[in-house]
Amino acid sequence: MTPAITPAMVGQVVISGLLAGSLYAMVALGLGLIFGVMRVLNVAHGPMLMLGAYTTFWLFHWLGLSPYLSLLVSMPVLFVVGAVLQRLLVRRVVDAPELSSLLLTFGVSIAIVNLAQLMFTSDLRSVEYLTGSFILGPFAFSKSRVIACVVAILITAGAFWFLQKTRLGKALRAVSQSREVAQVCGINVQRIHMLAFGVASALAAAGGSLVAVMVAIQPEMGQVYTFKSFLVIVLGGAGNYPGALLGGLLLGLVEQLSSLFLTTQVNEAVAYILLVLVLLVRPTGLLKGRAS
Amino acid sequence: MPPILEVRGVVKRFGGVAAVNGVSLALEPGRIYGLIGPNGSGKTTLFNSITGVDQCDEGEIWFKGRRVEGLKPHQIFHLGLGRTFQVIRVFPELSALENLLVVTTTDYPAALRRARELLALVKLERLAGEFAGNLSYGQQKLVEFIRVLMTDPEMILLDEPAAGVNRTLLNELLDAVRGLRDQGKTVLLIEHDMKVVMGLCETVFVLDHGEKLAEGAPGVIQADERVIEAYFGR
Amino acid sequence: MKRAFLVGLALALVALALYPTQGTGYGVRTMLQLFMWIALAQSWNLISGLTGYVSFGHVAFFGMGAYSAGILIGKLGWAWPVACLAGGVMAMVLALVIGWPCLRLKGPYFAIAMLGLNEVLRVIVSYYEGLTGGGNGLSLPTLHASVPIYYAMGLVAIAVTGLTYLIITSRFGLRLMTIREDEVAAEAMGIDTFRHKLYAFLLSAVGPGIVGGLAARDQGYIEPLSVFPLITTITMIVMALFGGKGTIWGPVLGAVVLFTFQELVWARFIYLHQLLFGAIIVAVVLMMPRGILGVLQQKYNLPRTI
Repeated sequence: MTPAITPAMVGQVVISGLLAGSLYAMVALGLGLIFGVMRVLNVAHGPMLMLGAYTTFWLFHWLGLSPYLSLLVSMPVLFVVGAVLQRLLVRRVVDAPELSSLLLTFGVSIAIVNLAQLMFTSDLRSVEYLTGSFILGPFAFSKSRVIACVVAILITAGAFWFLQKTRLGKALRAVSQSREVAQVCGINVQRIHMLAFGVASALAAAGGSLVAVMVAIQPEMGQVYTFKSFLVIVLGGAGNYPGALLGGLLLGLVEQLSSLFLTTQVNEAVAYILLVLVLLVRPTGLLKGRAS
Repeated sequence: MPPILEVRGVVKRFGGVAAVNGVSLALEPGRIYGLIGPNGSGKTTLFNSITGVDQCDEGEIWFKGRRVEGLKPHQIFHLGLGRTFQVIRVFPELSALENLLVVTTTDYPAALRRARELLALVKLERLAGEFAGNLSYGQQKLVEFIRVLMTDPEMILLDEPAAGVNRTLLNELLDAVRGLRDQGKTVLLIEHDMKVVMGLCETVFVLDHGEKLAEGAPGVIQADERVIEAYFGR
Repeated sequence: MKRAFLVGLALALVALALYPTQGTGYGVRTMLQLFMWIALAQSWNLISGLTGYVSFGHVAFFGMGAYSAGILIGKLGWAWPVACLAGGVMAMVLALVIGWPCLRLKGPYFAIAMLGLNEVLRVIVSYYEGLTGGGNGLSLPTLHASVPIYYAMGLVAIAVTGLTYLIITSRFGLRLMTIREDEVAAEAMGIDTFRHKLYAFLLSAVGPGIVGGLAARDQGYIEPLSVFPLITTITMIVMALFGGKGTIWGPVLGAVVLFTFQELVWARFIYLHQLLFGAIIVAVVLMMPRGILGVLQQKYNLPRTI
């Protein structure tokens, strides 16, 4: 049934896992920022990714703009969209129990998806830009995946530089740790919330732009990324931003490895079982997360 | 007489900090004990460890001859150890009466009778049907106090019973505590109000930085230099 | 006041019982869907309204019941009433399996775990194709039984509402509510919160399990996408919220109002339906998180048996 598994196959799969994982990490970091700063579970994260993908598609379709350049458009645009969304709606459920934030963001999510269906129709779209693979010894990796990984790493590194080195980034981390203390230190918490949501949406949009060349684009494409981002956050620890990286890579690895031994359908179940196991054993995440 | 509660070398850490660092106490039944110490000395953490709200990292806790560290709070409650909280934790959307009833599993008429008795004891009968969240601070404090008495526990831990309470109410509470002692119950209370501690407690434990600093009669403790240093700084 | 209400209720029940003799086939099938939503919203209320543990995967029990009953009817030839009851039992088993580990988790984590539950079940159903028909779905032998199913659904809706009444007026129900109010204090006061949550969870799974089976029988066909969509969970949540979670009649009110709205709007604005629904969800969450009856209850100090 399954052919013998060679080391080369394992190597291929491991690296594929890391490639995919870096993308998950970047997108999940966004979700993690929102949860860490506002304690909001944002189900509308996936639709942000979807909008990023569509931005890339339309720019490519009408202007012939390279998808990788379209990042320069999709990220800022979705940053603004996210900030506005936070200011208008999400702000009202920041301190509410998770039911409220989950429902609210879910409502926003289906509204956005439905809007996309109305405006773009549900037809599958794709961006035919980069085909072919890089061959490295016994390994072959699709070019778009490799470039996506590299870009994701760059963007994530940029995000961390922002968090660690800039004043705003430090303020954001301060608010994640203690809102009251941050306020007392003169930090405008409301602005930080908007910033966090904007940055998160930009990260999701980046993810969307990058996957636009790899997968079929349709209004519901974001849903699976929402779930995986939640999973990554749980793995890495809520509020633990470096943890999101670890979680993303781990998820990518587990997915690819399990595809070696199991059929793709059960793959998804593996992700979920992993989630439940982690939740039971170490609900605060594999790294030291903060209890909510 | 064997101690009703024994704490042996309990350690509880949060992150890298030991909030309770090797505390040992022994309490004899039928007496009122005080637990004092500056803010952050680990008093409430110790309470939490004793009642199972937090799992202690090291050490043993014995209640009525049984090891109880590691048990869940509701199990410890049913062994006869009740507690109140520093920040009032009545159930706001239940009425005062329901707050009391919810604690019991015995047959309803008996529970109802006892609840009404206790409400009468603290003169809150007319507020029985009022949402606990709508009561005044002092009234909520009383409800929390009698709630813990519903199942007639043998030992009660009171976390800052005097906090935020006016003179009259305080005296009623203190009388009630003495009444409990007279019935043979054991009380351990955390308190910052020195007058209360001096007037009420027979033995006082002092905690500082998670360790037991001193133990003895109130008068002795009051004069202890180490205790004075701990409170007023070095 | 109370007597007027009871009389009104009795009349309504009689009218509903007689409806099939007067109504059209379409009308009957619409009404039985309404009963289904009442049962769903009310069941969700049992766990989430009372204990505050928000179940975001409740449709899993619906799907479990649908598939269990579907397999029993389609492959083993069971009679549908028994098969549907069995669906309820299977849903309860699932609740036990899921609840045992997951109810120990804190709020947001429990919500996340439940969110993913759907996905896993859908995947498992697709995997065991031989049994469930996988992605192609499962067909049941044709049967025109709308009227008996109408009554069956109605009975379940009444039963779940009655169960809610019994629970809310009992000390068990009070204890469930303390979990919602202050779980730490509840534990400290001797309430075994885990066991109580588990019981509530099990009870909340039976209704969806049974109506899942009934819906499957009524449709004559099940497929993973139709019985495990997140939107079903969201709908039952919004219905319960709108009417007032934690109350007895809130979910009923919410189901009636929102279902009527859905029927009227969907017919006209099929493309805008989801968008409007999203807007309704946002509106309910922001403006009336306590729901209609919840607000009334608080404002006029109404008894809990509302």
